[in-house]
Amino acid sequence: MSVTNQSLPRFAVLQLSGCAGCEVSLLNANEWVEKYQLVYMPLVVSTHTVPEDTEILLVSGGVRNDEDVYNLRRAVKIVDRVIAVGTCAISGGVANLGDRDEVREMFMSQANRHHLPHLLPKSRPIDAFVDVDLYLPGCPPTPELFMGALTGPENFQASSIVCQECGRKKLKDMRPKHLLGFQQGEVLPDICLINQGYLCVGSSTRGGCRAICTRPGHPCVGCRGPSDAYIEKESSVWFDRVQQVFERLTDIPPQEIYDALHSPQLSLFLFQFTDYMGNGGPTRPKEKVL
Amino acid sequence: MTTLRFPLSRIEGHARVEMEVEDGKVVSAQFQAIEMRGFRYFMQGTPAEQMPVIVPRICGVCSTAHHVASVKALEDIFEVEPPELAKEIRELLLLGQLIQNQATSLFIFTMPDRVGASSIFHMDESEADPEQQLSLAQRALKVRQIGTKLITLAGGQFIHPIKAIIGGITSGIKKEDAEKMLSEVREMLPIACTLFDEYWEMSLAMRERIGTWGDDQPAFYIASTGRTRPQLNSDTIRVLGPDGAERASFPPHLIREYLDYQETEYSYSGQSSYQGQVLRANSLARMNLALSMGTPCADDYLDRLTSTFGKPAHPILLFDLCRGIEMVYAFERAIEILSKDLDYEDTDVPYTPKDGEGYGLVEAPRGPLVHHYTVKDGLIEDAEFIIPTVHNMLAIERALMVAGDRYVSPSGINLELEKAVGRVVRAFDPCIACATQ
Ligand code: SF4
Ligand code: SF4
Ligand code: SF4
Repeated sequence: MSVTNQSLPRFAVLQLSGCAGCEVSLLNANEWVEKYQLVYMPLVVSTHTVPEDTEILLVSGGVRNDEDVYNLRRAVKIVDRVIAVGTCAISGGVANLGDRDEVREMFMSQANRHHLPHLLPKSRPIDAFVDVDLYLPGCPPTPELFMGALTGPENFQASSIVCQECGRKKLKDMRPKHLLGFQQGEVLPDICLINQGYLCVGSSTRGGCRAICTRPGHPCVGCRGPSDAYIEKESSVWFDRVQQVFERLTDIPPQEIYDALHSPQLSLFLFQFTDYMGNGGPTRPKEKVL
Repeated sequence: MTTLRFPLSRIEGHARVEMEVEDGKVVSAQFQAIEMRGFRYFMQGTPAEQMPVIVPRICGVCSTAHHVASVKALEDIFEVEPPELAKEIRELLLLGQLIQNQATSLFIFTMPDRVGASSIFHMDESEADPEQQLSLAQRALKVRQIGTKLITLAGGQFIHPIKAIIGGITSGIKKEDAEKMLSEVREMLPIACTLFDEYWEMSLAMRERIGTWGDDQPAFYIASTGRTRPQLNSDTIRVLGPDGAERASFPPHLIREYLDYQETEYSYSGQSSYQGQVLRANSLARMNLALSMGTPCADDYLDRLTSTFGKPAHPILLFDLCRGIEMVYAFERAIEILSKDLDYEDTDVPYTPKDGEGYGLVEAPRGPLVHHYTVKDGLIEDAEFIIPTVHNMLAIERALMVAGDRYVSPSGINLELEKAVGRVVRAFDPCIACATQ
């Protein structure tokens, strides 16, 4: 790697408004260093625009201001293949929590600065502006997922849902009567978190992350988005599915689960799912989602 | 009047510098944060107990610091004190963050400046030491990865960790996992030291070439670590005067009373100051505070720094060297903690949620980070994030003026100015995603 090999495929990373977690995750996927040439990524390379002969463009972060729109449109013209990485780029991500009228009003009136890139009323996914060839959901996607997206999804093996990668056992006879909320007591190893009363949505969340949250005992908050079975459907369908799983495994009153899933608070918690349908924009066909 | 605009790279987030030049003299320098997502606004109404999962998304580079600060703020409100084991694992988390961050700043952000490359992946290593089996870039990434692995081990996830919870942590660390990590950290420590030595040499060479260590005027310093050894998880913020004497020490809830804060029209970030004076946070502030690091290799480096540059030291390019000292310290301290028993039952204490106001402080790589929440009916009524990069804003602008004076004259603008701007900003390792949220 002493001098960058000019014959390797060239890729660029366009960082829009995000937290840089996606880029940090990519940096941890060391293997690409041998196989690709990184030509643009402001976090690590001082080049100020995407160079002309770039092949692959990874876009991270949501479209939050007018400069994001400009940079995005300009960059996609240059490249052959556009990959949307991370929840922010795909569904607006955590900044979507601001998608409430009262927040938006306060935000627009107090936050905007006139001489700087202008804030848009809400954080938008990138496919509201440009065509995307591949979606890589996750907040952030793991280094392994990044490698899968770069080398081609056909080289990446994943289970359809997080549960299959989690390894915790779903028991028929350990039936909590109420949701535990966030008051985490002790978490028993090897037993499904639902059996322990936690609101884990791994059963309808797409696999591929290797269940990094649920294994150490934290409920899945769904950052990989809906699994193939739900990705092309209304969000109400996966809400129903999560509800069914809880009804099968617990004695928690259905209304309590319904309220938890639909209350503004808990849908905030599941922020990653909001707007997945594209909110009037294009749906994301499952063939295009890794 | 001419306006010079410099885009910035190899820093976290989106920012630029604007300098106004009149009659061959720089008359103003602005450091402009040009992005913003609005966490402060959209956190309102969030169930308080979800904050530790959401706020790491403020910044993927410093997510660990936000995660722990958030948990501490809620513990302050709920009046619960985590058990010893939880404190140790949280410290390990913060050490992992320190390694990852300082290695990123040293090797990915600033080393290219020292060798005139556009990135660590574009450095010409054809004359590299043949004794070394791996290239500089490969070794640098491996050292950095120790930080990532520590965060994963202690925090469950390496970017947005999840294992710190209100009242404690979700689980301890199994003996075999701790031992495996321990041997990796031990194995990489000498490699980290060698790399840092090379970096130190490169910095001296750069100083020879450019003829300065940058803005060396006195400043005030702010940090929340200890004097005899760094404490990343303390409850006290300290301010040092330009002479190194302690001017103030206070708990996090008084930070707004001690510091002045103002917003500007030209940036999405605010600026803070101490009694109207330039304030500096981050590695140099901590090293000016520290009489010792409490671990052998880091203490050697600290002695070397102090004997060469005195104490307190003011030149800004020393921030970079101080980051190396802290990286070495974090390796050594992680070895100490991993050698203890971290696998027993006492992971957390129960708590009862309640309403109120609370503060959570941690020493993030960039300085003291404070989360301040007001909770009503279990929901966040107000969330204020007091960000260390904001304390450095005036210091960055002053250092930019110093660079401007050096490279702009009535006879023209020296092309070195653009590079100098990059070096100045990177010395402070600002984090724009945090500063603006
Ligand atoms: S998807 Fe998550 S990790 Fe990636 S930029 Fe957004 S908040 Fe950060
Ligand atoms: S519901 Fe959650 S804890 Fe249970 S098996 Fe699925 S992912 Fe694991
Ligand atoms: S377990 Fe769930 S929340 Fe965690 S990384 Fe996987 S999909 Fe995301």
